[in-house]
Amino acid sequence: MAEKKISGSDILLRSLIHQGVEVVFGYPGGQIMPVYDRLMDYGDSLRHILARHEQGAIHAAQGYARAKGAPGCVIVTSGPGATNVITGVDDAMVDSTPVVVIAGQVPVSLLGTDAFQETDLIGLTTPITKWSYQIRRPEDIAWAVARAFYIAGTGRPGPVVLDFTKDAQIGLAEYVPAECSFIRSYNPHPVPSEEMIDRAAKMIDESRKPFCVYGQGIVLSGAEKELAAFLEKGNIKAGSTLLGLSALPSDHPNYVGMLGMHGNVTGNILTQECDLLIAVGMRFSDRVTGKLSTYASKARIIHIDIDPTEIGKNIPVELGILSDAKVALSRLTEKITARKSDEWGMEHIMCRAVEQHRVIDPELHSEDAELHPGEVVDAVASATGGNAIVVTDVGQNQMIAARYSKFTSTRSFITSGGLGTMGFGLPAAVGAKIGTPGKTVVLFVGDGGLQMTEQEFGTIKQEGTGVKIVLLNNNWLGNVRMWQELFFKKRYSFTRMVNPDFKMLADAYGIDCMNVETREELKEGIGRMLSDDKPFLLNVHVQENSMVFPMIAPGKSIDEIMLNEKDFFDREK
Amino acid sequence: MDSKDLKLYEITAYTENHVGLLSAIAGIFARRSLNIEKLLVYPSDVPGIHKFKIVTRCEDDKIENVVLQIEKKVDVLKAFYHINNEYSGRESQLVRELVAQREKEENNK
Repeated sequence: MAEKKISGSDILLRSLIHQGVEVVFGYPGGQIMPVYDRLMDYGDSLRHILARHEQGAIHAAQGYARAKGAPGCVIVTSGPGATNVITGVDDAMVDSTPVVVIAGQVPVSLLGTDAFQETDLIGLTTPITKWSYQIRRPEDIAWAVARAFYIAGTGRPGPVVLDFTKDAQIGLAEYVPAECSFIRSYNPHPVPSEEMIDRAAKMIDESRKPFCVYGQGIVLSGAEKELAAFLEKGNIKAGSTLLGLSALPSDHPNYVGMLGMHGNVTGNILTQECDLLIAVGMRFSDRVTGKLSTYASKARIIHIDIDPTEIGKNIPVELGILSDAKVALSRLTEKITARKSDEWGMEHIMCRAVEQHRVIDPELHSEDAELHPGEVVDAVASATGGNAIVVTDVGQNQMIAARYSKFTSTRSFITSGGLGTMGFGLPAAVGAKIGTPGKTVVLFVGDGGLQMTEQEFGTIKQEGTGVKIVLLNNNWLGNVRMWQELFFKKRYSFTRMVNPDFKMLADAYGIDCMNVETREELKEGIGRMLSDDKPFLLNVHVQENSMVFPMIAPGKSIDEIMLNEKDFFDREK
Repeated sequence: MDSKDLKLYEITAYTENHVGLLSAIAGIFARRSLNIEKLLVYPSDVPGIHKFKIVTRCEDDKIENVVLQIEKKVDVLKAFYHINNEYSGRESQLVRELVAQREKEENNK
């Protein structure tokens, strides 16, 4: 006997549960009310987190997805509710984060009439999603949801938008659970040929100075162990992109640090000096490569990536392997010859020593009475033993957090890389904590970025989410201020912030807070912050004019490394 | 460089016949400031598969990525490019084989 008909809203919610969704982040409104009405009765199996703005909902879903390794899910209304998630959708697209957004839409009969809160969401999101689809009939819901999660989570992950018309929400249909594991026009599991793997292994065996650069593809394919095994067998040093951080533990002997504009000296110099560059699960972003024409110019290049549009896009490669990182690395490790010798000799030790002496030591042992933001991140990393999930906003706070944090396990660094979305940090940290409640989640955020989404304090209050917020407060839009100092003749155009009393703000939301100005207070504050699992705001007044070094100026070759305002790294010295 | 100095390329894409795909593909061109000189969309000779034929002027080192971006769309099976009027008659056979192979892989799962 056929099951009785239920509403499209019920079909949606049952389909989400069928896909394994446990948490949805959202905000109700007119055209999604039938779904919210039914959602009330699904409290046992679907937890709904009420954000304070739809942008907060999607960034929380992104943080949840990145920390937990499962797709994030967002439910919002039509029109402004839908347009408010667009920044997060684009962020998820460029940073390969699996999220599924369900947005209300006006009834089918009103489509195209400029009805109240109607917006062409498919038109708006097509260029920034893996798939956008309008559901017009309740019969299509189970199929569309299954397909949405399949597309969002496979291949190179990314966002999917389902535009959910009111007709489909209130219409009745039978619910038949749907699966999707195949779309004939979509191949998320490319298999590299034996010949490709053989060629790569031969190139690796022939090289004298191999170097590996890896990105988030390692994390997304769960290839952390395979990467370590590959590097250890071949005795190959490796550097990480911003989004690849924590894929290898910070103390792994083959790990040389972060790549790119504010990366460690070693990774950038080894890139320039290697005779073979093995790039895995990364996309040669301009923040990593600097000037393209001089990038890795002494090297043959192998690029392993699951996205065919990335291979050869920015950097011409000798061998491109279209593959999941885990598959390619495990097959490659079998084929390469184990090697003991390290042709790099002292080069990486020298690079590291120069950075330590010229940049890190002066920052961590500043003679300034005011705190350097690096000291703050370093002190938090020591206190957590590198076991926390570190979330950042965008700007100096992000680069300093990336440089000074320590990681012991994967999926421990969550940041907005490709889009550079200020305001990402606070809601992403909320989502990360909700996804991994057993972990300590520390957010590093600036005073500018915090104020972009500070309304999410309300979500923290309502849910009691134990996020540890470290505000690196310099009363400036610090990264822009830094660029104005370096590249715009110190004309500080609209980067000074006159800020509220953040402690009063935290008090208003019932969030414990401590203001920190001295090194003693910092120690006490971190101790207080980490003493329990409650939300906490550590408002740290840091040096107003601090810079982030090393730095490779935009458009420069990545061996033109500024160690401070005047001096460049010189490997001949 | 004046766009008139660029070579004419013909792109062919074999796709599902879904709402919105035309605008998704058109967006790939608009984003790169590539003008579409000619556009045809019609059922291909592979049953159930539609065909886009697009003629554009494009820099030689950009055309391959444009074609890969088209092929990356979930509803696109395969995309090709060639210098205008050098159309290869083997494309539809390739697509036919691709569809058969993908469906066979799925059935063997």
